[in-house]
Amino acid sequence: MAAPLTENQATGVIGFWPWFFQRISGLLLIALLAVHIWMGHFSGLRAVIEGSQEELVLYSIVQQRLAQGLFVFVDFSLLGLVLYHGLNGMRNILLEWPAAARRAQAMTLGLWVLGAATFVYGAWALLAFIL
Amino acid sequence: MALSLRTWSLHGSASPDRNSGTRAGWWAWFLQRLTGVALVGYLFLHILVISTVQAGEDTFNSVLIVLQKPFFVVLDLLLIAAVVYHGLNGVRVLLFDLGIGLKQQAGMFWICMVLTTIITAVAGYFSLPLIFRN
Repeated sequence: MAAPLTENQATGVIGFWPWFFQRISGLLLIALLAVHIWMGHFSGLRAVIEGSQEELVLYSIVQQRLAQGLFVFVDFSLLGLVLYHGLNGMRNILLEWPAAARRAQAMTLGLWVLGAATFVYGAWALLAFIL
Repeated sequence: MALSLRTWSLHGSASPDRNSGTRAGWWAWFLQRLTGVALVGYLFLHILVISTVQAGEDTFNSVLIVLQKPFFVVLDLLLIAAVVYHGLNGVRVLLFDLGIGLKQQAGMFWICMVLTTIITAVAGYFSLPLIFRN
């Protein structure tokens, strides 16, 4: 088993910009998720309880929401920011593992590829509501 | 093994926090990790569920109807608790980065816990009709 890294070595491999953008994306996600969760779980609550709407989330409801440019912007921003924030968080955890820290570049590239592929997949799904 | 050993040796030290004398700092860190990893897992499931729309409107609706049954509404409350804690504790960490509240770290952890409980309870209260509907 390889010798563990010192704390200094570990924070060194995280890098300034990933650290900085983790905080920026986190702050943006607080605002966007508040909107997202409100729209998904609570805005239609009265209509569902009163019986004028069958469920909180159905195809037609999402489609109507995504007919507004604002929500297209919100959803695509969410998809990108949450993938960045989540995978960057995973990177921070993985970098504590000396074997991964030694291959930090390859691992970072792998996470970017995973994130980009998931973004394309998620965008493809969203487009079904928009086009 | 090296992963968990190093992680615990950095954050899970046997000695209590310097300022509070409690282990609130360890709990704050541990819960941030736990919720973070859980939310990443949820994120991929969430995208997968939404992508069922590509199989057609009816497929999407039949999946979403199942996922709005009472059992999943309760799971959604766990999700809300995880998101709220992760966000609040994230702000707490951000404030420390800015040099704010460094001596009140334990107290701020408890504020995060209380706010998470209150917000989840309010969400739960409003979700009651969905949990107990026929």
